[in-house]
Amino acid sequence: MKIKLFLLITGFLTVFSVSSAIAEGSKLVLTGSSTVAPLALEIAKRFEKGNPGIRVDVQTGGSSRGINDARKGLADIGMVSRALKPEESDLTPYTVAMDGIGIIVHKSNPVQKLSDEQIISIYTGAVENWKEVGGTDSPITVVNKAEGRSTLELFLHHFSLKNSDIKADVVIGDNQQGIKTVSGNPGSIGYVSIGTAEYEERHGTPIRLLPMEGVPATVDNVRDGKFPLSRQLNLVVKGTPSPLANAFIDFAQSKDVHDLIEAQFFVPLESE
Amino acid sequence: MSDRIFSFVIWMSAAFVGAVFLWILGDILLKGIPHLSLSFLLEQPEDAGRSGGIFPVIVSTALILMVAVAVSVPFGLGVAVWLAEFSQTGRKAASSTRLTLDVLAGVPSIVYGLFGNAFFSIFLGLGFSIFSGGLTLACMILPVFIRTAEAGLSAVNHSWREGASALGMNKTSAIWHILLPSAAPAIVAGLILGIGRATAETAALIFTSGYVDRMPGSLMDSGRALAVHIYDLSMNVTGGDSAAYASALTLIAVIITFNMMAQAMTDQWLGKKVQRA
Repeated sequence: MKIKLFLLITGFLTVFSVSSAIAEGSKLVLTGSSTVAPLALEIAKRFEKGNPGIRVDVQTGGSSRGINDARKGLADIGMVSRALKPEESDLTPYTVAMDGIGIIVHKSNPVQKLSDEQIISIYTGAVENWKEVGGTDSPITVVNKAEGRSTLELFLHHFSLKNSDIKADVVIGDNQQGIKTVSGNPGSIGYVSIGTAEYEERHGTPIRLLPMEGVPATVDNVRDGKFPLSRQLNLVVKGTPSPLANAFIDFAQSKDVHDLIEAQFFVPLESE
Repeated sequence: MSDRIFSFVIWMSAAFVGAVFLWILGDILLKGIPHLSLSFLLEQPEDAGRSGGIFPVIVSTALILMVAVAVSVPFGLGVAVWLAEFSQTGRKAASSTRLTLDVLAGVPSIVYGLFGNAFFSIFLGLGFSIFSGGLTLACMILPVFIRTAEAGLSAVNHSWREGASALGMNKTSAIWHILLPSAAPAIVAGLILGIGRATAETAALIFTSGYVDRMPGSLMDSGRALAVHIYDLSMNVTGGDSAAYASALTLIAVIITFNMMAQAMTDQWLGKKVQRA
C-alpha cells in the first residue's frame, strides 16, 4: 500500500517535471508592484493569446522588489507603481497607465472646493462640521480606506499624514464601497480612484468629484499629469530590453489593452 | 456558589469559541455562496479574478500540498522515530534537535517565504514554481509534525516495547508494526495541523510558488495558491471581494477534504498493520 502510494507520487512528479519543456527565449518574467500586478496579469494573458508558445509569468512583491529584480536580472521586467527616483536612473521606465485619486462628496453638498489644509483638517478631526469649510450646518462623515490599500498610501503620502492621524467615521475597502458610502450619506467625504468615480458620476450616482489645488479631478487631467494626486504605473527594464520584453512593453502601451487598463480602474495614457 | 461561577465561566468559554467559529463560517457562507457555482470551480480566472473561476488555483493548491506532504511525511516520521526511539544514547543531539524544532515551529511564515525564495527559488534555481512552494511548505510543516508525532510515539506505553522484544521482534518491526500504528492518532493530528497551516499560507507562498493564475503544466511552473488568490482579491483587486469570499469558502472545503483524506488514509494504512501484527 505504502509502496504503491510512493510509486504513484514519484510517477506523478516525474510526468509533471518532464512535460515542462518551455524554451528559455519564449518566457518572460515580471515582478514588482502589487497594484500593477493584476493589470499586468491580464495584459499577459492577452499577449499570450496573440503569441502562441510564449509564456509571461507575473509575480508580485511590491515596487521595490520590481526595481531590485529588474536590476539583478531576476526579472525581465519590473513593475513599479510610482515614478522612478533619481538614484534609479539605471533603469528605463515605460509608463503603461496612470492612477489618480479624487476627493468625492455627495452631489447635494454645496461645497465646491476644498484646499489641502481643509482636507487635512477634516481628515484629522480638527474640522467636524461642513459649515466651517463653507457648507451647511451638518456633521462631516469621514470615509477612509482600509489599511493595505494603495489609494490610502497615495492619499497619506500626498498630505504627509500617518494613518493613525486620521479620525475616520467609516473605513472602507474598495472604490465601489467608497462610492456607495458617500452616495448614501449626504454629509460624507471620501476619496476613490478617479476612473471609477467619473464613471459613476456620469451614470447618475449622486456624488461629485472635487478639484484639488484648483485642478478638476478628471481622467484627462490625470492622463496629462496635471492632477496632483496621481501616480504613474510603470514597467521598468535595465539596459536594452530583449526582443520579447520589447514586444510585451509595446503591447502593454498599445491601445489593444486600454479596455484592460480601464477595467482595473486605471487611466490609459493616450486618448482613444 | 463558586462551583456555579466556575462552571458558568467554563460553559461561556466554550460557547464563545463556538460562536467565533460560527460567525466566521456564517460570514463566509453568507457572502461566498452567491458567487459560488460549478462554473466558478471549473473555469479560468478572468478580469484579475473578479469574474471567471478558480480551477487553475485549486489545481495549483492541491499540487503544492501534495509536494509538501510527500516530502514532509517520510522525513518527519524518520526524525520523530529517531527522537523517540533511537536518541537515548545521544541525548545532547536529541535535545538540541528538539529545541531547534520548537524554535522553527514558532518562526513566522514570512521568514519561511523569504528563506524559500532565497534557497529554493534562487540558490537551487527552482524559480517561482509549485516545487519551490511545496518544499517551503514542507519546511514549515516539519517542526509541528515531528514534535506531534514524537509525542505520540513517546506516549506509547513502555511495556509494549518490552513485550515486542520479549517476543523476539527486532527494533524495525517493533517500530513498524507496533509503535507507529499505536501512535497513528497523534501522527494524523500532526499531519492535519501541518496541512491546515500550509493550506492557509500566503506569506510563505507568494514569493515561492508565486502569483501566476494559469493552469500549471508542470511542477516547475509557477502556480497561485488559494490563500494567495484570496489575499490578492481582497486586498488588491477593486471589486474582488465576492470572488474572495467564494474562494475562501472553497479553501475551507479543501482543508476539510484534505483532513478527511489524511484521516482515512492513515486509518487504512496503519489499521491494517495493527490487525496483521
